[in-house]
Amino acid sequence: MYATKQPSLRIKQADLKCKNGCGYFGNADWDGYCSKCYRNQMEKERQKKSKQSQQGDHSKATSFSKFEEKKRQQSDKKTKYFLPVFRKTSSLKETGRPEKYIDIRQMNPDADKLLAEFISAYGEWGEAVRKDFLKCVQSFTSKIIHELDLKSVEELADIAQNYYQLYNNRLNNNAVYQSVTPEVRDKLLDFFERYSMVSLYTFLFCPPSTNDEEKDLSIQDRIRKLSWVNAHHLDCCISETSLEVRDLVYTAINDLLGMDSMKAPQEKLACVVRCCRSVVEVLQHCQGGPVSADEFLPALIFIVLKANPARLKSNMLYVTRFCYGARLMQGEAGYYFTNLCCAVSFIENLTAESLNMPQQEFEAYMSGEVTCVSAWESALVACEGMHQLCEHLSLLKGLSERMTAVRDDTQKLKDDMHRLKEEINDKVTSVLERTPLVIQPRKTILPLTMEFLKSLPPLPDKVEGAASDEVDTAPKYYQQNITMNQMGLSNPKPKLQLDITPCVSLPSASEVKPSLSTEFLTVASPAVDKSLDSITPDDNSYLGLSKINYDIDFSDISAENSIIEDLGESRRSPTMSFTPDPFSPMGTGCTIMQSPLVPSAAEMPRAEDPPARKNDFVLPFLEEIEKEGTSEETLLDKVEETPTICLPPPIKPTEYTGFSKQGSKIPSIPCNTGDFSSLNSTPNAGSSKDTN
Amino acid sequence: MSAGPYNYSYIFKYIIIGDMGVGKSCLLHQFTEKKFMADCPHTIGVEFGTRIIEVSGQKIKLQIWDTAGQERFRAVTRSYYRGAAGALMVYDITRRSTYNHLSSWLTDTRNLTNPSTVIFLIGNKCDLEGQRDVTYEEASKFAEENGLMFVEASAKTGDNVEEAFLETAKKIYQSIQDGRLDLNAAESGVQHKPSQPGGRPGTAAGGDQPGRDNCAC
Repeated sequence: MYATKQPSLRIKQADLKCKNGCGYFGNADWDGYCSKCYRNQMEKERQKKSKQSQQGDHSKATSFSKFEEKKRQQSDKKTKYFLPVFRKTSSLKETGRPEKYIDIRQMNPDADKLLAEFISAYGEWGEAVRKDFLKCVQSFTSKIIHELDLKSVEELADIAQNYYQLYNNRLNNNAVYQSVTPEVRDKLLDFFERYSMVSLYTFLFCPPSTNDEEKDLSIQDRIRKLSWVNAHHLDCCISETSLEVRDLVYTAINDLLGMDSMKAPQEKLACVVRCCRSVVEVLQHCQGGPVSADEFLPALIFIVLKANPARLKSNMLYVTRFCYGARLMQGEAGYYFTNLCCAVSFIENLTAESLNMPQQEFEAYMSGEVTCVSAWESALVACEGMHQLCEHLSLLKGLSERMTAVRDDTQKLKDDMHRLKEEINDKVTSVLERTPLVIQPRKTILPLTMEFLKSLPPLPDKVEGAASDEVDTAPKYYQQNITMNQMGLSNPKPKLQLDITPCVSLPSASEVKPSLSTEFLTVASPAVDKSLDSITPDDNSYLGLSKINYDIDFSDISAENSIIEDLGESRRSPTMSFTPDPFSPMGTGCTIMQSPLVPSAAEMPRAEDPPARKNDFVLPFLEEIEKEGTSEETLLDKVEETPTICLPPPIKPTEYTGFSKQGSKIPSIPCNTGDFSSLNSTPNAGSSKDTN
Repeated sequence: MSAGPYNYSYIFKYIIIGDMGVGKSCLLHQFTEKKFMADCPHTIGVEFGTRIIEVSGQKIKLQIWDTAGQERFRAVTRSYYRGAAGALMVYDITRRSTYNHLSSWLTDTRNLTNPSTVIFLIGNKCDLEGQRDVTYEEASKFAEENGLMFVEASAKTGDNVEEAFLETAKKIYQSIQDGRLDLNAAESGVQHKPSQPGGRPGTAAGGDQPGRDNCAC
């Protein structure tokens, strides 16, 4: 392949010579001419063009270049016609130059900054070094400014290179710098270049006498036309989808773009070096190993194409002209700058062949007929999407973490609540075991309560009705029951309503009450009889003390009534075992309701402690729980039993309100949490605790 | 007296040229890092190779510019050659095409460098004897005809790599001693760094005078 196809890009001896055939070497920047022939050629072209413009050729394409030409001609004229005058005056007035020099310094705040930097960095080397440095800088800058309008940029560049060389020699040979170390000498040379170039930047960068600006525009246009070229066309292995690679590519592009904002040639070079290092990093990322020039150059071309830096040519020419020559031919900066020159030169001369592409396809791309969805552009878009996706993912991750934290805390809270309930249950059972001790003192208080009950206002109709049914079977209990109901209705209920109303509507409460009362009649009464048989009236009152609580639950707190309804519904399904759930309002009502008794129990003198009675008291309660799981009646027994036993006197209205407050809170807990799952899962545990 | 990085007298610029994939970068890496590239995939900083060597008691810093070998970049890589004191021309002994291209590489080098530039021909991958496509004799004859130094080397094993770089440096140093290489020429590819401050007579002696003249104005 190589042997047969003699590449047209190969450099031949003839290619390197001046196109005019004068024998000197040509230069691409001079259109292949040597410097002399190029200047002649330009002069000819200028004359030709000025003739054309006189003829009035006003096509759009050339309008800008004509403007450029005009500008240049004007500057030429200035050099031709006005300069002799200027020169005369400047030669006449020797003071003219220093004035101009001062102007430069005033115009460049950067130069002042550099001077301060110089003093801080190199002040230690003594006044002599500083003075000599400034003297040399001054001589250099004034020389350049003096020659500015007289000589071409290339000649000025030669002057600059000469001065660099002179100062370098001076550094190494002059006695002033005898004590300065070689490192600092190099730095001083750099600083010499930097300081003088920052001062002269406005004069030497893209001077109006050159066509640098046109070159900038043409390369910019060229790169814009080549925007469809992607990494694949250049055979470079930049993976366009990786986020890290994309970031590095952006860094490289930014560094390259930063070149234009720097003033000193070496600063511009530093930008190029940074850019190239980023490119090397990109390649290391993409291929996971050391980078060779075979891969580096295409990647750099790609970066230049994607960056399309402003005033690229001007910058490169400025660096080439005014950077210390040795720096450009050696060192890392020189190497990378050379690569950049190669890349730009490749872009300028890019053909279908150099992209290994059929000519037709290339032309189609160049003319814009075929718009290639550039993989890079689409990758950037995709990357943008990916980027957002990543951001969102991280956001979601954070949210889900917080979510799990909340869930864990919730679970913890639940566990705490369970534990609290269990503790309370345990306490209650322990209290229940101890309650027989409390029974004794109640006996004495009971008559007082009876009197107290009689002094209470008349009962509401509904309760009376319910009570009146019961009167037949157990008048005594009824009376006590009434007091209980009445207590509940008259005293605690108004307060409770505040809490409960949101949960349950009153009608439901009123519905339940009659049904309860009828149930008392039908089913419950035998059980009452049973319990009555074995227990003396006094003993009944003990039992009542513990069981009245249930009564209060049903009659007072409408919310609990509603749950009784629920329970009643659940009763209909045989699979649903009904036990007073310790966590249901009723259950909690029981437990908490009984807890206030503990202090009272402690206060009460423990007189008699009949073990038999204790058994009597405990056993029916246990039986109830066991039965509850199996049949409806047991619940009814329980429900019925409570009203039958009279309210014990020690429970004062104040205590009821206290209870009711608790009771009002407690129903709300299960309602709010909606913890109905616990209704299913916990009954066994609850019942077992109760039995314990 | 001088600190580490300045402890050398000369800087020589080398370029490595040759077709793509002949192992230019591997040779450079082997020389600067003394390792084969594939064995240390995570080495960073080999892209611009420098190493300080010693020739005849003089410390010399070698700066080696790796170049892109693709055919399509041939036209634009001219500027690599500027100011190279030594050129290492590499081909792959297992691929004949890389050898066939040598003449064009040589033409470029001769055209774009100064006459004193030392050109060294390296037949790389000599560890792959079984796949050899270009005999030693043939390449040796080519080198002789064109006045090149020649060696077969292996970037993988490191055979002859050091020798190639050092021989080139010796030759360049010899040219300096003989006066064939003008140190003051802008594109000589050699930069002289006096290691003793102010202690080197002779070099750039004429530089002082015009400097003073200019400053006086």
